[in-house]
Amino acid sequence: MSQKSLALGAALAVALGLAACADTSSSTADPADAGSSAAAGGFEFGDMTLVVGYGPGSSTDAGARLMAAQLEERLGTTVTVQNQEGAGGQVGLTALAGAECDGNTFGTINFPSAIVSVLDETRGATYTRESFSPVALMVVDPTAVAVLPDDEIQTPEDLVEVAEADPGQLQYTTTGVASQEHFAAIALEQATGTTLSAVHFPDGGSQVKTTFLGGDVRLFIANVSDMTDLVENDQARVVGVMEEERSPLLPDVPTFTESGYEVNMSSSRGFAYPSCAPEAAVTALSDAIGDVMEDPAFLDQMEAAGLAPAYLDSTDYAEYWSDREADFTEIFDLAFEEQAP
Amino acid sequence: MEILSNLGMGFSNALTPENLMFALIGCLVGTLLGLLPGIGATAGIAILIPLTFNMELTSALIMLAAIFYGSAYGGTITSVLLNIPGESESAITCLDGYPMTQQGRGGVALTVAGVGSFIGGTTATVALVVGGSALSVVGLEIGPPEFFALVVFGLSLLVGLVGRSVTAGLMSAALGLIIAMVGIDPVLGMPRFTFDVAHFFDGLNFVPVLVGLFGLGELLDTALGRTARPRAPRLRELLPTRGDWRRAAPAIARGTAIGLPIGIVPGITNAISSLLSYSVEKKVGKHRSELGTGAVEGVAGPETANNAHSSAAMIPLFALGIPASPAIAVLMGAFLQNGLTPGPRLFVQNPELVWTVIASFFIGNLLLLLLNVPLVGLWTRVLAIPPAVLTSLIFMFLVLGSYAVRNSVIDVWVMLAFGLLGLLFRRVEIPLAPLVLALILGPLMESALRQSLQISQGSFSIFVERPISAVLLAVAALLIGVSLFGTRLKKRRLLPADVDS
Repeated sequence: MSQKSLALGAALAVALGLAACADTSSSTADPADAGSSAAAGGFEFGDMTLVVGYGPGSSTDAGARLMAAQLEERLGTTVTVQNQEGAGGQVGLTALAGAECDGNTFGTINFPSAIVSVLDETRGATYTRESFSPVALMVVDPTAVAVLPDDEIQTPEDLVEVAEADPGQLQYTTTGVASQEHFAAIALEQATGTTLSAVHFPDGGSQVKTTFLGGDVRLFIANVSDMTDLVENDQARVVGVMEEERSPLLPDVPTFTESGYEVNMSSSRGFAYPSCAPEAAVTALSDAIGDVMEDPAFLDQMEAAGLAPAYLDSTDYAEYWSDREADFTEIFDLAFEEQAP
Repeated sequence: MEILSNLGMGFSNALTPENLMFALIGCLVGTLLGLLPGIGATAGIAILIPLTFNMELTSALIMLAAIFYGSAYGGTITSVLLNIPGESESAITCLDGYPMTQQGRGGVALTVAGVGSFIGGTTATVALVVGGSALSVVGLEIGPPEFFALVVFGLSLLVGLVGRSVTAGLMSAALGLIIAMVGIDPVLGMPRFTFDVAHFFDGLNFVPVLVGLFGLGELLDTALGRTARPRAPRLRELLPTRGDWRRAAPAIARGTAIGLPIGIVPGITNAISSLLSYSVEKKVGKHRSELGTGAVEGVAGPETANNAHSSAAMIPLFALGIPASPAIAVLMGAFLQNGLTPGPRLFVQNPELVWTVIASFFIGNLLLLLLNVPLVGLWTRVLAIPPAVLTSLIFMFLVLGSYAVRNSVIDVWVMLAFGLLGLLFRRVEIPLAPLVLALILGPLMESALRQSLQISQGSFSIFVERPISAVLLAVAALLIGVSLFGTRLKKRRLLPADVDS
């Protein structure tokens, strides 16, 4: 083999090495730490794996990687992020539900997808709420409704008025049937007694924004974190936020609750173990995450990544989970009632 | 001129040794990432972002952007030399790039692709500098009805791709459409053809399907002793001749003219630009009858269109703050994590940074050209590896690449299954091009059609009421009419001339 082909072999090896990094990239690879285990809050953690049900670069992945780096420091072990994307998080949840019970594998939980994939029988999910043991809530990103800056709709009341004047004609964007935006609109319809009309964009974010900014669909429904850049560039105006309290990211925007419409909708992200994990591990990890979430430097990092911090410990998170499940069970069937044109 | 002085400032910042080094690292890492199917710019940038936290912001953005366009080039290398498309847009490059390699002209293909990419990318960056904000407004006029019309226009060019047997071509296209149907119905939310496997809810991933059809299909075909094994070209065969350039130049010009405007529209993938460029070459190219058998235009056009598209996709990011593709969305994340919101206000808030990054696009494109053209000789040496070793290396490459897409063994099985199908297609002489076309255009056509009808509340008049859509549909109708009517005429009168050219 000539020298040149050897050089090429080396280049290939680098490429393959990079690929291997991509498979399971540990957020810090300090060899001194590798293999060590540490006691924290009465539980001995080994090398840990964090299953993320979304691809690298997704917002869930960004938050998980930030948290993994902190946990490595606090627990004195390695936390390897493992992306298992697919089916809107269902592939990752399936993997998590079947993971080992030694308290070293935990994963991300996103609402509403973790709830909806269980409620939707056509998805054939092999897990239920009982398959998971909630650890901690990390992020709550409320849903909001935005319009173009020159739209006559200024307040939630205006929105209801326009919707009532022409039932079924006021259109909004979603990222797909039974997506969080779709449920948010259904909850809004329920609370206000109006009928809106959905335009679904299951292929994702950029098309939604183009169609909205191009004026083809009047209402843009999305998480607050997806809107802040449009607001900053004066491309959109937020009419109302679907949360009881105002969002710190948009302090001037009223909530629907303030206007008398009880609509609480958000997407949230937390962590869970498979339900067979030891109780001591759940408590220890929940406390460790709680400590991380009190660190001001970490909260700055989260804010920079557009993630709104909202910590709940394992007990409160379990309750929050049950409450959300009840909310979605109530409106679930409505998402499939609309017929396609 | 204000633009020139801004750009000059940008260049003086981007040309510091440190920033140049990061641009070079980015180009190299990008090329290596592109070499492996399954790992593209999106995952590469996402994983490397944490490494940039301690870097100076401008350098970090320069490096990440260089990874973005460097990866497109890596995909070209494997497509041309090994018939392994790293991304769906490279599948089109395989159509003529690999036959060129089989004829010992792989080096020519890579050189032409490199130069074409440079021209396409640089032209699109000039457009970003000169008229970014004006162009991006046009991009917003493109809603779902225009998407649908564009796809119909693309399909009207299908006739040219069908090949000798219309039946075989249509079988191939139909199969592509069926593959595109797998997944959750975009409007009703019900799973289709998923066999209750959650992995298929998002549809079959393009990468394992294409890598199987092209890469494994070819590997099996060669291993079973049918096709000629490609040989490594001799040194003087690496450079394109004057005749090659004369044929490639118009294709490069047309590729730029296609990729640039389409890239500005958020939500349309590179593959569509490459595909349209290929179809146009098939329709208007001087040597169109040679396309599919190793014609240099078939590489030059789509590769240029691909890069023009990638660079033009930066226009909506800077002008509107809209990421036009998943890779750019991750790049936008890098801006956001540093407290910068891409969009019109960024030019006012932080002009120095914006212009430096834009200047670095020019430098990066030039670096890629300088890096890759001399390296062509090295890359083509891969064909000098003994066949037994090379075959097993490629097989490992295919399996690893398919797995890396979503860290899932299911994608490896998909790749193997499509490899067998690819072998079958080769043995019974069914062309692959129509399948690729349907696979790429199918999902976009379906969602655009149904979204348009949701917007219009079920009325089809939306497609003719909107001017852009109406024009595209009229051109498509004309093209279909001409080819139906024209083939008969051509058979009688133009055939000798066609064969001659």
